[in-house]
Amino acid sequence: MDRVAKDGAFAQGAIVIALATLLYLYLLFPILIIAPMSFGNRVELVFPPAHYSLDLYRDYFGSQDWLLVTYRSARIAVLASMIAMLAGVPGAYALARTEFPGKRILVLFIMSPMLVPLVVISLGLYLYYLRISLSGTVTGLVLAHAMYSVPFVVLTVRAGIEQLDERLERAAVIMGARYFRVFREVVLPQLSPSLVSAALFAFLMSFDEVVIAWFITGPTTMTLPVKMYSSIRWESAPVLAAIATILTVLSIVISLVGVALTRSRAAPK
Amino acid sequence: MTDIIGRRELVGFLGPVTSLMAFGLLLPLAFITYNSLGGEHLSLKAYTELFNSALFLKVTWTTIQISFSAALLSVVLAYPIALHLSRVSDRWRPLFMVLVLLPFWTSILVKSYSFVVVLGEHGLVNNGLVALGLPRLPLMFNRVGVLVGMTNYLVPFVVFPLLANLLGQSLELRRAAAVMGASDLRIFWQVTFPLSLPGLLAGGIMCFVISLGSFVTPALLGGRHDMMVANLIDFYTRESLDWSVASAIAVLLFAAGGTLLLLLGKVQGSKSLI
Repeated sequence: MDRVAKDGAFAQGAIVIALATLLYLYLLFPILIIAPMSFGNRVELVFPPAHYSLDLYRDYFGSQDWLLVTYRSARIAVLASMIAMLAGVPGAYALARTEFPGKRILVLFIMSPMLVPLVVISLGLYLYYLRISLSGTVTGLVLAHAMYSVPFVVLTVRAGIEQLDERLERAAVIMGARYFRVFREVVLPQLSPSLVSAALFAFLMSFDEVVIAWFITGPTTMTLPVKMYSSIRWESAPVLAAIATILTVLSIVISLVGVALTRSRAAPK
Repeated sequence: MTDIIGRRELVGFLGPVTSLMAFGLLLPLAFITYNSLGGEHLSLKAYTELFNSALFLKVTWTTIQISFSAALLSVVLAYPIALHLSRVSDRWRPLFMVLVLLPFWTSILVKSYSFVVVLGEHGLVNNGLVALGLPRLPLMFNRVGVLVGMTNYLVPFVVFPLLANLLGQSLELRRAAAVMGASDLRIFWQVTFPLSLPGLLAGGIMCFVISLGSFVTPALLGGRHDMMVANLIDFYTRESLDWSVASAIAVLLFAAGGTLLLLLGKVQGSKSLI
């Protein structure tokens, strides 16, 4: 035991711990600063606020404009994550359980929204949507966001499938169950924690996405991130502090649920 | 052996995801390539125009400089975090992982806005400097602002591959070094660090590629003289409405990113991509 401890002595030494602490703080810094500021007043954003109030939150919840784009983003994100799940989950299962020629290319293709610069995809969608009359439509945005979220769904679900016991599925097949029935009745119920976290992450991906939306939204489909982006760029209104905090709470909840679900799955092993 | 999914059913399982990607990704990419080549009347005009454009060359050079600095800084900043995460006990690791995952999942807009508030002329840092009787510093709308915003976004992208590498290293090697009497620092420099180079390089290349295409951070925190390639694409698309030039830039950006990622595949072995 003592030798194991010695191995980590440098990495657990004061210098590394001090540096790591500073760097964790640096990563968390934007959140740590903006959350207290959002409880300040609407005249001037200061840290720490001189006196605390809910003014900025009142501004947000009192603004038809902001609520409208929030609602629209949420609706688009729900639809996009549903499509991403419908496409991604069976895909992830097939990729995890079968071998076929060209599989690696297909995997690369499905993962490519994570690898291709977003601005390239966005320009492509913009030009292509103009041609097929999908620009500025909810349908166009939903499909684009679904495509963008799929790699995360596939990664999360595939990791979940790897924890499953393949023998259960084989047994079901031997007993004569059809492939789709095995998937529906044996695989999906066991996968539910991964499915929940995949759906939540897909929702967040779409809800937060700004570059694609910046290129392909029209005046009637403007999303929350696009409105935030323009607002930061042109006026930097204090109400943004409240919105940023609400968005952060949403990501905190989603990533904590994600971590909790992955842990509970690993625990019984 | 019974296959869990039959050949015929494979199409049913993979069809939807493949069609979604073909529609949302492949067709748009084909479309920009087509546009960059002048559409119906095939020509390389957009490309020759670009390579004769002082603006494009300047923006490309700025992009390379910023991306390289951002990647280098992110690697340096990520190392202590990955090292700490790799040595903390299995029980505590998820807790510290959350400290990296939270920023990773925080919207880039939230981060950028926060840095606008902090680094601005009347921001937190400058007000602090004034309170101490020091002059204000230009921290935003310049290289400093962009690099702060970018590294804050990129560090998690290095932490994950680096952590995987550090956790994958054999404990026996460090034990052997310890038994032979090497000091902790020496074990780190002569065993752990050299073995972590592939992970480090992978993280660095990933950051570089992500930076090359970054859009939001340079637009919100960068200066007027620090335009990056992605913003130039936006400029040509929206302001000068020159779609074939915008497409040509996008094709070049895609090609540069793709080449680097292939290199990354070589560094890490092809497993890295999934």
